[in-house]
Order: sequence, then structure tokens, then C-alpha cells
Amino acid sequence: MITSGLIQALLWGVASGCIYILLATGLNIIFGVMKLVNFAHGQLLMIGAYIAFTVTTALGLNAYLAILVAMGSVALLGVGLERFTFRKVLGTDKLNEIFVSLGLIYVFENAAILLWGNTAQQIPSPLEGNQLFLGQVSIGYDRVIAILVVIAILFALFLLLKKTKIGLAMRATSQKSTASMLMGVNIEKIYIVTFALGAALAGAAGALYGIIFNFNPTIGALPTIKAFAIIIIGGLGSIPGAVIGGLLYGIAENTAVYFLGGTWQDAIAFTLLIVVLAIRPTGIFGEKGE
Amino acid sequence: MKRTLVNSLDSMKRGVANFSRSQKFYFIIAAMAIVAILPIFLSKYVVSEVLTPMIIFALYASSWNLLASSGQGSLGHAAFLGIGGFVSALIAIKSGVPPILGLLLGSLLSAAIGFLIGLTCVRLKAWFLAMVTFGFSVIIVTIFAELDDFTGAVLGFPTPLIVDRGLPFYYLTFAIATISIFTMYLVMKSKIGLAFKAIHQNELEAKMVGINTAKYRLIAFVISTFFAGLAGGLFAYSIRYIQVSVFDPYYSFLPLMIAVIGGLGTIEGPIIGSVIIVSIDKYLPRIDPLLGGLIGQEGLIPLFPAVSNVGPPIRMLGLGLFLIVVVIFAPKGVTPLIKKAYNYLRSSPQEEKLK
Repeated sequence: MITSGLIQALLWGVASGCIYILLATGLNIIFGVMKLVNFAHGQLLMIGAYIAFTVTTALGLNAYLAILVAMGSVALLGVGLERFTFRKVLGTDKLNEIFVSLGLIYVFENAAILLWGNTAQQIPSPLEGNQLFLGQVSIGYDRVIAILVVIAILFALFLLLKKTKIGLAMRATSQKSTASMLMGVNIEKIYIVTFALGAALAGAAGALYGIIFNFNPTIGALPTIKAFAIIIIGGLGSIPGAVIGGLLYGIAENTAVYFLGGTWQDAIAFTLLIVVLAIRPTGIFGEKGE
Repeated sequence: MKRTLVNSLDSMKRGVANFSRSQKFYFIIAAMAIVAILPIFLSKYVVSEVLTPMIIFALYASSWNLLASSGQGSLGHAAFLGIGGFVSALIAIKSGVPPILGLLLGSLLSAAIGFLIGLTCVRLKAWFLAMVTFGFSVIIVTIFAELDDFTGAVLGFPTPLIVDRGLPFYYLTFAIATISIFTMYLVMKSKIGLAFKAIHQNELEAKMVGINTAKYRLIAFVISTFFAGLAGGLFAYSIRYIQVSVFDPYYSFLPLMIAVIGGLGTIEGPIIGSVIIVSIDKYLPRIDPLLGGLIGQEGLIPLFPAVSNVGPPIRMLGLGLFLIVVVIFAPKGVTPLIKKAYNYLRSSPQEEKLK
């Protein structure tokens, strides 16, 4: 009985972990290339969820095609953000980035309240309520598809980073921006592409989140924190680390909720985060020292 | 006369307003006198609902500002506002000590917890620190809510009366805040403050010149959380009620907003920021009906059909934009702009010619 419950928690953990992996990977790419931490990343997830919700309910688009729409629109939003806010404070005091992110959190949450209202919504999925039975445990088809979509996106990202010229330029910039500038890389373009890419991942995460869970304009904060916990487990800037960290985190969270109940859920996430950071200030797999 | 001329010429060269030491001193005395005398002529509502919060949040933002001056941007200061508020009220109620003593004990406990949290935070980089402080505030609100039998936090409870509301409480707050902010001023002007600045600018370099960065960052944490707790106690006594909502992220972000908009790292920044933000908070809701009327008979509802009351989200959105604009275009806050405007107004025609 306990084993089947555990397997159930494990399966759900993988599914919700996948969404956080997308978010954490986006944060990681942006940090790796631009050395910028966007605290408003979870709000991009929220906007992505609402855009997917709007195109599915108003235009009758299939929920899974809406993921692409959400990715594209949030990427565009990311271009605007990079161009008009973060670029202005990049390279100044690190605190300024935190302040700008905080301002963006206020802007996005309240813009969403004005546009879509303050009530909880869910993206209607064609497979809603259908379960896949594996022996004693079951998992919704939506969650299975979410896992597959995330694998596909991560594979595409891998190809983009390893096989294309722009991916090479991004990796070069992440190692040493000044040197890659001297090699003829257009840093400003790379920054825009990077931020748009990170935002697109957040948009995809948002659409998947909206298909599986309820959402409202204020859900953004918690996924950001979870993405941070994942990054801290996996190391800042490392994409494989984010994947492993995301799976571990999703499983740990769902197992903890299964055994301890939901009230301490958020506090547990933070306790984990703080304990890890107290022992290793740069994260478990993070690089050592300055 | 000549000296002021030279002085203002000098400031013209630099492009920013500059006050001599004695000018500054008179300015502060004049400002304090206004703050002390003005409330006598104002209504009780303005004194206890606008001016008192202004002073409390100026103190609260100053405490945050002190921490930020050492390069540590906390996103969880509401934890200390709440600890200060709850502990001082609970001690006063449960053990019967005078509330003013409870205020001190609450601040001390807030500083003690700040010390413990600081131990984890002092080794972290800016973004991890922001996350961890935010995390601590979530953990602390969970603890307070779980221990509801003892704290009564979920539903809240009325706080004891420290002095009568209105003018007496206003003067108490004013006195406490003046002493506290002056203490923080002394700290920031001392060698400790210099170390904070060095750490803020470049921690590695600060370490290289022999500053024990962890120690000074911890000192900043303890001082800041002490005064945040003090502000929390005053806050709880001023609204005569305390509830778990005091831990809202809103109260964590508020001192950041006040300090950044006023001017980060300066002593006058949080004070001016508090005047601006509290005024916006108290008076802007009055234009809500007007805002609706501007768009049409049914207000903004046709434009935003999903919301029944468009005022609060529009204000918050505006506040977010305001913060971003200030950070990007006026990184030193609005205080230098005010100084510039003052200098422009007081420059005499002769000085104009000299330009």
C-alpha cells in the first residue's frame, strides 16, 4: 500500500518537476549568458498560462498547440523586457536587478488582474480527466504529455545550444563575454536571444502548468522560488544540473506532501533551500569560491 | 553671503545641490520643528492615519536601507516587522510588563533571530540572499500560524494601549524614530558604515584590504533587524491590532520600495521615500471614483470587465512602474532631484547671471 502510494507520488513528482525544470533551465540560461537573475521569471510563467488560456477559450485552439503560442508571445515579451529594463541596469549594482525584477512582479501581477480578473482558471484540455493506469497507480494523460513535451523542448534546446552557430555564440558569451565580443560576437543580439529563449521556456512552463493546475495572477511567486531551489540543488548556470535538480525536487515535494500533509509544503521547500545554502553557499553542484 | 555664493557656484559645477555642514544642520532643525509643531494644527485622522505611519515606515525603511548599504538586499524584512510586532504585544499581554518594555524586548528578540538568520546569509551572493531572506519570512509565518494556540496569529488580537492614540502616540513614535534614525546615521558615518560601503561596492576587494566581510555583514544584519523589530512593535501599537497578515510579502517589499525611491544608501532617502509612498497609499485611493469617471459613466469597467474595483491593481501597477523608472533613470532616488529643484528655486537673479 505504501509502495503504491510512493510510486504515485514519484510519478506526480516527475510531472510537476518537469514544469519546474523548464523554469529553472530558463533562469539558468539567462544567468549563464548574462549573469542576470530575473526574479520575475515566475510571473512570465503566469502570463504564459493566461495567454494559452485565452487562445484556447476565445479562439478554440487545442490546448497543446496553445503552448507554442504562449512560447512565442512570452518570448516577444522577453525581448521587450531585456531591451527596455534589464539592459539598462546590466553591469551596474547587482541590487538594481533585484529592484527591477520586483517592479516587474508588481506590473505583471496587476496587469494580469486587470486583464483576466482575480479568479482561478484552468486551461481546458481535450484529455481532461483521462487516466493512464499502470497496475495500482494512475496518472492523468495530461501529466504524461507534459513530461513528453518537456523532454521534446529540452532536446530542441540541446540541439540549439550544441549544433547551431547561435548556440555556439551563446556558450562563448557565457564563458567570457569580452573575449567573445572580440571574436566578433554581437553581444547585444545574443543577450536578446538568450532572454527571449529563457522567457519562451517560462511561457511553455506556464501553458503546461495551466493545463495541469489551477492558476490565478498571483501564482508566479511560488514557481520562482521552486525554480531557485532547483538551481541551488543543481548549481547556478548548469542545465544538466537543473534537470537532475528538478526531478529530485519534484519527487521530494510530492513525497513530502504525501507523508506530512500540505500545510508545511512551502516551508519545507525553503528549509531545504536554506539548509543546502548554509552548508554550501554556491549550491550542491555549484562552482567553488569566487 | 559670499560663502553661500561660492557654495552654490561649487554645486553648479558639480551639477548637484550641495549643502554646507551648518546649512544641513539648520535644515534638519527646521524640518524637525515642522514635524513636531505641524500635527497640532492637523486633524486626528491625519495625525494617526497618515503622519504616524509615515514615521514608522521611515524607520522601517531606514533599517532595511542600513542592511542594503552593506550590499545585502533583503526580500523578507516583514519577518522582523512581524516578530517585533507580535513579540512586543504578546509579552505585554501575557506577562503584564509595560508595553514600552515589550517594545524593547520585541526588538531584541527580532535582532537575536536576525543574528541567527544572518549567520546563514552572510556568505551568500546577492540573489541567493534575496531568496533566502524571502524564504525565512515564509518559514516564520508558517511557525507563527502553526503555534496559533499560543500566538493567536491567524485571527489576530488587539494590542495593548501604550499611550493615547493621536498626538501622544505620534510624539512617542517621533521620539523613538528620531533616536533610532540618528543612531543608524552614526553607524553609517562610522568606520563600520565605511566597511559596509566597501563590501557593497566590491566584496572581494573589501576582503583583500583586510575587512572581515562576514563579521560586518552580520553586524549590519543585527542592527537592521533590531530596528525593523522596533518599527514592527510601533506598527502593532499604532494600528491597535496585529494579525498574521503583517508577514505579507507586501510588507517585505515596502521598505525596499521606500528606500529605493527615496534614495538608497542615504539617511534622508528612506524618510523622503516614506513621505511619498505613504501619501500615495493614503490619498491616491480618493481619486478612484474620479478615475472611473474619466473613462465613462461606468468607469473603467467596460475596459477591464474582469475586475469590479480597478483602483488597487492600477495603483500597484503604477507603483511597480515607478520603481522601475526610478531604478533605471534616477538610480540615486528622487532626493537629488528635490535638492536640485530647491537649489534652482533659491538661486537669486545675480547668481543666474553668473551662469
